[in-house]
Parts: sequence; C-alpha cells; structure tokens
Amino acid sequence: MSVPPLLAFENITKSFGAVRALQGVSFDLRPGEVHALLGENGAGKSTLIKVATGAHVPDGGAIVVGQRRHAALTPSTARAAGIACIYQQPALFPDLTVAENLGLRLEPAGALRRVDWRGRRVRALELLRGVGAEFSAEAEVRDLSMPEQQLVEIAAAIGSGARIVIMDEPTSSLTRREQERLFGIVRKLRDDGAGIVYISHRLEEIAELADRVTVLRDGRSVGTFAADAVDPPALIHLMVGRELSQLYPAAQPASDGIGVEVCGAGCAEVGVADVSFAVRRGEIFGLAGLVGAGRTELARVLFGLNPADAGEIRLEGRAVKIGSPMAALRHGIAYVPEDRRRHGAVLELPVSHNITLAAHRRIFPRGWLDAAEERRIAEEFIARLAIRTAGPDAAAGTLSGGNQQKVAVARWLAVRPRVLILDEPTQGVDIGAKAELHRLIRELAVTGLAVILISSDLPEIIGMSDRIGVMRGGRLAGILPGGASASAVMTATLGSAERKGAA
Amino acid sequence: MRRRELAVAGVLAVLLLVLALRAPSFFQGQPLRSLLTREAPVLVMACGMTVVILTRQIDISVGSQFSVCSVAAGLLAAHGWPIGAVIPFAVFLGFFLGAVNGALVAGLGLPSIVVTLATMVTLRQGLNLVQQGEFVNLPDRVQWFGLEQTPGQWSVLAIALAVLAGSAFALHSFAAGRHFYAVGSDAEAARLAGIRPRRVTFAAFAGMGALCGLAAVMNIVQSPQVQPLAGAGLELKAIAAVVVGGVAISGGRGSVWGGAIGLLLLACIPSALTHLRIEAYWEKAIQGGIILLACATEIARPRAKKSPPAKAAAA
Amino acid sequence: MKRPTTGAAPGWRRIVFRYETLLVVLLVIEWLVFYRFGTSTNRRGIVVGFGTMERQFDILRHSCEIGLLALALTPVILTAGIDLSVASVLGFCAVVFGRLWHDAGLPVWCAAGATLLAGAAAGGVNALFIARFRLPPLIVTLGTYSLFRGLAEALTRGAVTYTDFPVGFLFLGQERWLGLPTQAWVFLVVALFIWTLVHRRMTGRVFRVIGFSPEGARYAGLAVGRTTALAYVMAGAIAALAALIYTARLGQAKADAAVGYELFAITAVVLGGTSIFGGRGTVPGTLLGIAVIAVLKNGLAALPAVIRLNAAEESAGLLTGMLLLVALALGAAPKLLSARRPRTPLPENLPIPKSP
Repeated sequence: MSVPPLLAFENITKSFGAVRALQGVSFDLRPGEVHALLGENGAGKSTLIKVATGAHVPDGGAIVVGQRRHAALTPSTARAAGIACIYQQPALFPDLTVAENLGLRLEPAGALRRVDWRGRRVRALELLRGVGAEFSAEAEVRDLSMPEQQLVEIAAAIGSGARIVIMDEPTSSLTRREQERLFGIVRKLRDDGAGIVYISHRLEEIAELADRVTVLRDGRSVGTFAADAVDPPALIHLMVGRELSQLYPAAQPASDGIGVEVCGAGCAEVGVADVSFAVRRGEIFGLAGLVGAGRTELARVLFGLNPADAGEIRLEGRAVKIGSPMAALRHGIAYVPEDRRRHGAVLELPVSHNITLAAHRRIFPRGWLDAAEERRIAEEFIARLAIRTAGPDAAAGTLSGGNQQKVAVARWLAVRPRVLILDEPTQGVDIGAKAELHRLIRELAVTGLAVILISSDLPEIIGMSDRIGVMRGGRLAGILPGGASASAVMTATLGSAERKGAA
Repeated sequence: MRRRELAVAGVLAVLLLVLALRAPSFFQGQPLRSLLTREAPVLVMACGMTVVILTRQIDISVGSQFSVCSVAAGLLAAHGWPIGAVIPFAVFLGFFLGAVNGALVAGLGLPSIVVTLATMVTLRQGLNLVQQGEFVNLPDRVQWFGLEQTPGQWSVLAIALAVLAGSAFALHSFAAGRHFYAVGSDAEAARLAGIRPRRVTFAAFAGMGALCGLAAVMNIVQSPQVQPLAGAGLELKAIAAVVVGGVAISGGRGSVWGGAIGLLLLACIPSALTHLRIEAYWEKAIQGGIILLACATEIARPRAKKSPPAKAAAA
Repeated sequence: MKRPTTGAAPGWRRIVFRYETLLVVLLVIEWLVFYRFGTSTNRRGIVVGFGTMERQFDILRHSCEIGLLALALTPVILTAGIDLSVASVLGFCAVVFGRLWHDAGLPVWCAAGATLLAGAAAGGVNALFIARFRLPPLIVTLGTYSLFRGLAEALTRGAVTYTDFPVGFLFLGQERWLGLPTQAWVFLVVALFIWTLVHRRMTGRVFRVIGFSPEGARYAGLAVGRTTALAYVMAGAIAALAALIYTARLGQAKADAAVGYELFAITAVVLGGTSIFGGRGTVPGTLLGIAVIAVLKNGLAALPAVIRLNAAEESAGLLTGMLLLVALALGAAPKLLSARRPRTPLPENLPIPKSP
C-alpha cells in the first residue's frame, strides 16, 4: 500500500439519540478504485456518506482527506476537498435548463460575472456527452426523468473535477442500458485516478464493477475484502450476519377468511403493475424488496393515494373501489406511512389529537369534539402501546422516533381497521421499541386483522411474516413461505439468478 | 422567448388587429404615444415586480412606494431642486423603502404578502396624513424634463425601454441575474450551489423600490401637478401584467419581456373597450378575469415529471 | 429537549403569559389613553367623552363589518391560506343587493337571502381555484379582489348609488335591539358560530391540520379539498352578510363599499395571534384583535390633535399598519432567537405552494 488513500475514516462514531448509527467504522478509499459499500438498510451506509459530505458531524473518530485530518467536514470543505456525492434524489433547479444547472454548480462564484451562455452550453454538451446523456442541454430539468436528472448530477460531479465520487444506489432507477452506460462512466472515472464509493444492493453489479467491498452491519464494519475474493452468497451471509433469534413473537394460525385480495392491480402513475395476492384475516403478509421496487407504491395504491387503474381490490370477498384515502378509511384500510415526520403524525398537534385524527368519525360521530372521550381514548392507547410521552397533551414532535411511530400506529388502530398496512414501521427505532412494535403487530394480527408489513429489515420480515411477497420492478416477483432463509429472500429480492440467465 | 410569451404576444396581436379593423384611430401617432407614455412608469415597475416574483416573493406595497416617491420628488422640485438632483433622490428614497421590505422579508423571514400589505398601508396613510390629499404644484421646468411635449414623451419612453432592456440583459447575462431564478426555483439547491438566498431576496425588494422611485419621477414629469394618490392600484396592475406575461407565481420561471407584453395587453384594454363600445367600468373586472385566466393556464401546464423509480427498474 | 407543554406550567402563569393577555392589556391602555385625551361630538352635535355608553355602541356599530371579515378570514388563515378578496366581495354583494331590491324589485328579505347566496358563490370561485385546482390562494384571491370590485363597478357603471332602503332593513344597521346595536347581535351570532366551528367541531381541527401539513391531512384520510373549500365559501357568505350590515348602516349601497377593509381584517387576525403560516390561532384572539383595531380607529377620531388635522382615517391606517408590522416582528423574534427552528422561516417559506 504505497499509495496514500484519497479518503480515510478512522473509527467514526455517530449516534442519533438512543440509536447508535455508526460504532467505530473505519474505511479507506484509494485512488483508481471502485470501493463498494454494502449493508442492509439501517446498517449505517447513509450516515457514513453524510459524514463524508459534511452533512453530519460525527461524534468521534477522524476523517483523513489527502494529507489533512479533520474531526468533521462541512459541506463547503467537503466540496473543496473534491468530494462529490450523487444522491438518489437530485438537488437541482427544476425550472432551469440542464446547461444552467451545471453552470450554477460549476462556474466560479461572483455575482457580477457575465454569463457566458455559449461557453456554458459547450461545456454542458461536453459533460453530457461524457456521461452519454441523450437529452439536450437546453432541456428544463423538470421535464427530465429521475435517471436523467441523476445523469445531470453525475455530469456536475465530473465537471467539478471531484476526485472522490460517492454514488448512493445510482442504478436503483436505471434501465439496463442506462446502467451499462453508468458503468462505463464509473470505469472511466476510475481509470482517470478518481476514487468511487459505490453503494448498491445489486450484488452482481458489485462483482462486475468493484475492486474492493466493505460490508457494514448494525453500524459496524464487518470487514473489507477484495471483490473477487467473495461471491454473492458469501456477501449475503456477511450482510445478514446474525442468526435469527427467537426475538420475534411466534406465528399464530390465521383464520380461513380472506381479509384483502388484490387481483392484477396496477397503477401506471407509480409504476406498479399486475400485482395479485391475498391476505387472510389474522395473517401477516410481508413485502420484501429493494428500495424503489414498488412496495410503498403498492401501499399507496391500496390506500387510494394513487388509485389503481387496473385490476381489482376485494375486501372480505367484495370488490371495492378505492379512489382516495377517505374511501380507504371507509372500507377499513389503514396505512401507517414510511415517513412518519411528514405523513404519519402531525408533529405540532398533541398526541391525543393525533391518535383520534383518522377515527374522528367514530369517536366524534356528530362532529362535536369531546375532550373527555378523546383523553380517555388517548390514554388507553398510550397505555396499550406503551407510548412514552409527557402526557396526551404533549406535542407529537416532542416524542422520540419510536414513540412517534407508535402514535402513528395508534391513530390507525383507533379506526378499528380490517386491513393494516405498515410501511417500514421500525425504521430508525431503537431495539427496545422495535421489540415492542413487533409484539404489538403480532397481537393485532391475532385479533383478526389482515396485516401487510413492508420492511427492508431482512430478519424482521422473515421473523414476523407468515408469508413473504417479494417485489421487484413494480411487480410481485414471487411469494415465499414464512421462515424462508435469509439468502432465499435476498436472492429473490435481487433476482440475480434470473438476471444472469437473461444477460 | 418561451411559448407562454409568444401566446400572450399572439393574444395582443389579435387585439391590435381587431382594433386596427374596427378602430383604426387607435393607431394615430399622438394618442398612441400618449397612451404608451402613460404606461411607461408601470412598465418600469413591472420589471421590478418580475424580479420579485421570480424570487418567489410578492410586493403589494409598490403603489404606495410610488406615491411617496412622487410626492417627495414633487416637493423637492417645487423647492427648486434641479431635476437632475431629484431623480437620484427619488431612486434612493425608493431603494430605502424597498430595503425595509427586504429586511423584513429576508432578514426576519416574514411572509412577503403580509409584510408588504402592512408597509403598503403604513406608507399610504402616512402620506395622506402628511399631505392631506393636497396636490403638489410643480414648476414648469420639471414638466417633460423641461423639454417640449413630444421630445419629453420620447425621453420617458426611452427611459422605460432602457430599463426594460437593461433588466432583461442583467437577468439573462449576469450571474447575479441568474441567482434570482435559482433562488425562486429552489432556495435549498441554491444554497448548495453557493448562492445566498437571503441576500438575493433582499436585493429583489430593494431593486423593486429603486425602480418605483424612478417610475415616480417618470410620472410626475407628465403633468403640472403631483397627485398624492397616483400610485393607488398600481401594485395590482404591475402584478397582473407580470402574471399574465407568464412569470410563474411559484418562482423561477419567466422574463421581463413577458411582463412587458402582459402590460401592453392590459394597457390596450381600456382603449379597446372604448373603441369597441363596451363601458369602461368593466376594466377592473376584466383585469381580474385575466389574472384568473392566466392562473388557470398553470393548471394545464405539465407538472415536473416524477419518474417512479420502480417503473424504470424493470430492466 | 422537550418544549414546555401547556400542561406543565402552573395555572396562573398559563393565564398571565398568554398572548391574549398582552392584547387585553394593550386594549385597556388604548382605552384609557383615549378616555383621558379624547373628546368628540356625536351625530347630533353634542360633545361626548370617550367613556360614554353611546361611544361604546358607536365603536361596536362601526367595527361590525371589519369584525365579520376578520372572523371569516380566521378559518382561511388557519388553513395557511389567505383571502384578499373579502372586501371586494363585500362591495360586490352590496351592489347585488341594491340591484335586486331596487332594480329587480324583490322584497327586501328575498334580496338579502339572494345576496348571501351570491356571496357564497363568490367564495365558491375562490374555492374552485384554490381547493380544486390547487392554485396559490394569494394570486387567486388577488385576481378575485380585482374581479369582484370590478363587477361591482360594472353593475353600477361606477356611479349608481342605491338608497331609500325600507326602514325595516335600516333597523339592522342603525337602531338598537335589546339595548345593543342590532348588528352587534348579528356579529355575536357569527362569532359564536365561528368559535364553535373552530374550537368545538372536528372541522376546526381539520383546518389546523391542513395549515400544519396538508400532506399529513391527506394521509390521515381527512377531507382536505372539501374543508379548504368550506373556509373560502364561508368567507364569501360572511362577506355578504357584512355587505348587508354595511348597506343598512350607511343607508346606501355603492361599488366602493368597504374599499381597503381587507387590510384591517387581516391585521385583526394576525394581531390576534393567528399564524400566517397556518395551524395556530384562536377565535378569541381574533376578537381581541378586532377590538384593539376598532378602539384605535374610533379613539383616534376623538383625539383633539387628530380632529384638528381631520386625519382620523389616515392615522388609524398608519397605526394599524405599524401595529401589524410590530406583531409580525414579535412573532418572528422567538424563532430567530432560538437555535432550533422547527419550520425554517427563510424567504422560501412564502405561503405559495410550489407546484409538485
């Protein structure tokens, strides 16, 4: 190792409240390599990236960029050090053209500078050609698709002369052809001596592209390996790691009645097509898949946020039309969304109001608020779900993440639903609250609810589900029995066998 | 020019064509020049308003700023200040008034609609209190900058066109001009690109004020007296012109050319009404209808595409 | 970490350190100042002090229309919206009423009923654009602000003034009933209605949730569109009611009725502690805001200096505008002082929703 690394992390730690996201992670990136970063959702990858871009200040450890050691970076020092990150959600100006977006990012500061439109366009064209983009430099960013916007981000990173390029699941929204092109760009960057941190869930890509692989698990580094020294099954084992313990509540036999049946449902707007499955009352149906595989989108279709434009949804045998969340609510379908801070709870409102918000038609049948009844119901749920709060009057925003999540769940239990969809219910929740939520979910199923559980946490989905549906590319790729092995689920999720066959 | 500006220009062309067929007298030199000269100050204000709305803000105090600058400039001129000194004074006074708005909006983070509503009334009533509705009589040498009427009108038009061309050039060709677009389009992305949104917002309001001062001078030279209420309702006209001209109220899209065409369209309406024998009382209602119509075209506009990751992943 | 919740503070502090308390103190100071320094003549030319009962009735009588508009705006602003068109709708409805009664010859109570419907329909135009098409309230109501005032002018050709309304109708605006000016009763009924709606009904909570987070409201299965529309339609109907009272008080209906009242109404609401960003606010606060402005307007007219200058309207407007600025700045100060900002108060936080 004669060449000094471009970027090195030494023993980085970072906690968010009770959640220890990084617990002494070390990592180094050499010039001219593609270094893959692997791990389940929640393993600490995004936190590590945010430390590198200066968005997070680590609690401990050091970051070495070139010759200099830093306790923390800021966005501007990170940029000055040649670190560029391509996020999944690009931060571009939607109303401006591609050329201008690149210009604002790359041209020197100084308000009184003349804009060289010709030069800007020439440069943009050159950069776009470099990344193989097929759209015009004069296109407005709002008219570009997400992968196209991502290409603009990549072009900006290349244009800024970044030596350290971080790519966060860059292929999750790309077609095969776009992927190939991206790989070409990555290889070219590498051959030019840059270092690329490459994050992906697609193991075959890593075999194809990466020089080294670092696997994170539960905020720790499991190890760094040469990419050709580990095969996908070994990587899956490294990622999943721990044995499934008896942490999860035991499955219970489900009743015979069908709770919800989905027949060929789809919605072109969100890219979900031809999904069919049935969930019995009392059953927990897990939905596994990569981020962007269409699980949340399917939930949005079932809840009427993006009404289905194909197929049929049947509740207890009866076909229903769900055109809006209000309709879903009427039919007893409840959805606890993934983003609880924006959608799941209204942070400014007291806990009690949050709990009664969706069930107001049942709790206040004539529309008159009833403070005593509201308080009684709130206290009942606070006790039943063990929500830790200063009281029913405390604003939901003052609660910890796990307790906010419980408030969001309570809101939908108050509705007394027949179908409960939970989207990443334990994301960002500490271990203790997680176990409580697991117990709660099982209890709910036992009372006769049909539960659809979306989770990216592999052990959770395996431990909790009676059956596991695996989604890939907006379709249901298959249904596995409960207790399937982690590698079986991972394999189905990644679809690598199929892809290899196709390639 | 974008499609929107062309569409508005098309509507304007149709209106002018109808006028040409039904009322050719509309195009006689002197009345037409008078009409354009009357609207020239509003054009200057519409340029400033374009910048404010591009930055995703709004300023409804411009009419009051205009009135205050008019009266102040008029009083100074009446006290014997040369017009050459009155102009920079009015511009500076306007700049100061706009800077107050800018400081409140950008500095304190208050919503511009309420801030400028408050400054609108404070300035207007303060002026009424001081002036008691009295007109200011101007010395002769102020009128038309001391020129004959025709060259005077031409010089007012020339100033307006210079401001229009200048602001169009600055918005298009200077980095600072593009920063207004960037902040209005996405303030957070602007911050990441090293632009300071607060500073840009402040500049938009201060510039708006300075242009109000200039517009005020361009207005007082047109008559022998200054009306203290001259600016009432101008805010609506300026905003209407800008919105009709295709500057998106959600920021980041549009140009001063659009605002100028929008203003021409609105300015032609009263004449068109007279010539087409529709009562002039309909002007305000039609203006409001046009604003709503211009809004409604935003409904049809395709929203930013959100390509769902799931769809594309099917390789 | 935890913000002090209302439940945590002892009772007396909860009462003393409320924003409303500040308003009450302001109101009392205002009243005392005018009581000490203000004199004025009444309608019959007799000098009366500020403390007389008649004076208080006068304040009530003159503040009803602005008060009604402020009440109408409270739900709208709670949903993080704004309605600049209320005073124009008032003018439009006054003219509609005049025409229906005078020109169309409808019985006066039929005309009044039809006027209320016209007001609701005018609010419906706002509702259509804002709730259905999801356009920014600011620009939509700026358009209707011009539209309805313009329609009023067009209907009257800018000149017609409707007068000679029947005595029975004028009773509504000029006489007393059970010891109070008649319109004060109407105002009280509307205030009670809005208070009930905002503080005692689920609808009020939905207003707030929409103001805090429209997406959150949608995810909770609430009727976002319908409830937003209700706020604007209600605002139109109440503006129509205010038009009737305005017409009855002055005995005439003209196109320029209540020009500029939207400012006083918005000021009353914001002064009353309702956040222009939506979600937070109370009806009692609005009522206090109305009282502060009403006493200010009326009291200034009683100050000898103001009388000498003949500048009651101007000084009231000036002070109201400055009061609004101070109230806004005071509202922003705590946000600037605290390091944590739950909602970024930067310029981009304009109440214009970015089209998604």
